[in-house]
Amino acid sequence: MQANLEARFGRRQFLLKAGWAFFYLFLGGWLLSNIRFLFPNVLYEPSLTFKAGKPEEYPLGVSEKWKKAQRAWIIRTSEGFYCLWARCTHLGCTPNWFEAEGRFKCPCHGSNFNPPGDVLAGPAPKPLWRCAIRLTEDGQLLIDKGRLENRPGLREKGEFFLPMKA
Amino acid sequence: MINFAKQNLKKTKIWKSIFRHDFTDTPRTRLQRVFGNVFLHLHPVRIPKDAIRIVYTWGLGGISFYLFLVLVVTGILLMFYYRPTTIHAYQDIKDLAYAVTLGRLLRNMHRWAAHLMVVTVILHMVRVFLTGAYKPPREYNWVVGVLMLVMTLFLSYTGYLLPWDQLALWAVTVGAQMAANTPVVGNEGPFRLPFITPGNDAKFFLVGGTIISDNALLRFYVLHCIAVPFIFSIFLCVHLWRVRKDTFSRQTGEKVDVWPHLVSREFLAALWVTVVLFVWSIALQAPLEELANINVTPNPSKAPWYFVGLQELLVYFDPWIAGVALPGLIIFGLMCIPYVDLNPKGVGSYPRMQWSRAGPIPLWTPVERPFAVNVFMFGIVLWFVLIFIGYYCRGPNWEWYWPWEEWSHRRISKLTLKNLPNLWGGLLLASYFLQGVPIPNTIKQRLASRGGPQAPAIASRLFHGGLGLVMAVALLVPLITAPDPDYPARSRYPTLFAALGHAKNAPVVMGLYNLIERLGPAWGLPVLSGLIGVGGLIVGGMGMKFARFKDRMYEELGLIKYAMVMGLFLLMMGVLGKIVLRLLFGVKYLISMPAFNFNI
Repeated sequence: MQANLEARFGRRQFLLKAGWAFFYLFLGGWLLSNIRFLFPNVLYEPSLTFKAGKPEEYPLGVSEKWKKAQRAWIIRTSEGFYCLWARCTHLGCTPNWFEAEGRFKCPCHGSNFNPPGDVLAGPAPKPLWRCAIRLTEDGQLLIDKGRLENRPGLREKGEFFLPMKA
Repeated sequence: MINFAKQNLKKTKIWKSIFRHDFTDTPRTRLQRVFGNVFLHLHPVRIPKDAIRIVYTWGLGGISFYLFLVLVVTGILLMFYYRPTTIHAYQDIKDLAYAVTLGRLLRNMHRWAAHLMVVTVILHMVRVFLTGAYKPPREYNWVVGVLMLVMTLFLSYTGYLLPWDQLALWAVTVGAQMAANTPVVGNEGPFRLPFITPGNDAKFFLVGGTIISDNALLRFYVLHCIAVPFIFSIFLCVHLWRVRKDTFSRQTGEKVDVWPHLVSREFLAALWVTVVLFVWSIALQAPLEELANINVTPNPSKAPWYFVGLQELLVYFDPWIAGVALPGLIIFGLMCIPYVDLNPKGVGSYPRMQWSRAGPIPLWTPVERPFAVNVFMFGIVLWFVLIFIGYYCRGPNWEWYWPWEEWSHRRISKLTLKNLPNLWGGLLLASYFLQGVPIPNTIKQRLASRGGPQAPAIASRLFHGGLGLVMAVALLVPLITAPDPDYPARSRYPTLFAALGHAKNAPVVMGLYNLIERLGPAWGLPVLSGLIGVGGLIVGGMGMKFARFKDRMYEELGLIKYAMVMGLFLLMMGVLGKIVLRLLFGVKYLISMPAFNFNI
């Protein structure tokens, strides 16, 4: 009985099992840490900010001027400017602007948005994102697509709206 | 002269060192050909005669395997002229089509073989299901097969990014965005962990960046050319080996030699597929759209046909449901099949069908395992109906166009969708899923001992009818009475009823609205409540029709298996239900919690 216990739980067994346990722990840990390997540390991606010219160049309404180059609509209301990122909040396609209906419509799954960015139809779960917008020292609009907001109440003020009477 | 050379050739040491046996057709050489050959010895030496009938297997598994080989060979050749960078990729594909000798044919063959492989793999799965070939002892091999179907689709998906055209870019944008909508680890998914950002979420992991660019292209290239084919080959070995080792679900009497009976069939199938592929690849060019441009999406932007069903599904549900949860559940459900199907019947032959009737509707149902076959085939048909809708019924802006209608980019269509209030929607969902609850025998007996022999039947009627009524009430009462929370900011009408009644994309609500307008409130309200009652009783009656079957299934399967089968079945029918709600009632969500990115 005593010998049996010794054989199963004795020092020799403990050291052996602990040794193997650490070996497999190390191996498993190393394999798992390779997941981190797949997250790159340095990205070579284009800048998210751009200068969009002088405010005087924009008439009232939705401007498609920067959509092809910067994927953004600049919208001027009688109160001021805001900028919508032209990326559907459903699955990231680029919607199109339909002046006659006053809607943005997405070609991938059919989401519809109104000029403030709210969802009218289709599967998109959230309003379109608004980008940070301000004036630079040389009097141009500066758009930052890295700073986004789409919650009603917050998106109409602060850095996401540039007041300027038409 | 030639004969003489042949005779002497066979006597040389070199010949004898390569071919260890002679080729006269004797029983001995027939065996030697199979087990003396590394490629053929995956076969058994002798095989049941029934298992190799062409009209039984249609050679679908073997053809899928052959297509995989074709894809490997053509793929290796294409790799010689392809560089996976955003600057070169599109031009290299153009060069393959216009500047490389036979390049276009190879690319066509690679593309069409991939399409064909998706078809044959799906058909192979349907065939195996219908002939019950997944039943013991082959349960595990079915699971391996399902994973190989998933890998086949993933190979197709990673493959069509590589040309870096518009189709590629937008398919991958959508696919990567589905990763971003994964619950918990996706930046835009429900119940996201607090430290998850666009810089470290599941999408970032998949595409190696915050936008789809060079990193994504390189990753998909490695996945498509090395990683997935490698894993696929391992699964393929297991799959083929287990076919042989597991023996057959049904043992039949007579056996025949694999050489020549099976090998000749395989050779003929491969020959036939090769001819089809050549004709197809010469006649039809593999598509190549314009150069990828992240700022412009083609309108409409459609996935290849095998993913259009998924794309159409994404219209009706939140991305985390349609893109992550439902595909996961479909795969899980398929893998469960052999473990929850305890019916030993229907192995080794296609189901025998018979005509029966459900009320006035004639039904064509299988004799031996009607539930299994009907539910599985319903799922397959539903999937292809979604593909049909996505492919033929969707036009610019993904709006509904009948196949015979002409597309117009200027069509004015003021689409409107509304959410049900959360409590009503939750009630609808809960009462729908409660329809799946069985009444076990023990409870029936207790009911009968307390309230007489009629009591269980009455209880069942009350239960199902009541749930049906609750469903009808939970759907129609809020649609008719609830105020529109968007009024007056985004909606011109103060109630959901008026808003959807004026929308062209909610025909049932529009019909009801016009009916009430015409009848006036004095007549309209009684008519409406009558409609709710009738609708509820029809739904409840449908539940009641299955009540006895449901209870029997519960007794046979036990709680866990029953819950899995019924849960998956109700989910499948629920998908259909949500599609109907969207297309006919203009309902967007039943439950909507935007703060958690959680909508159903």
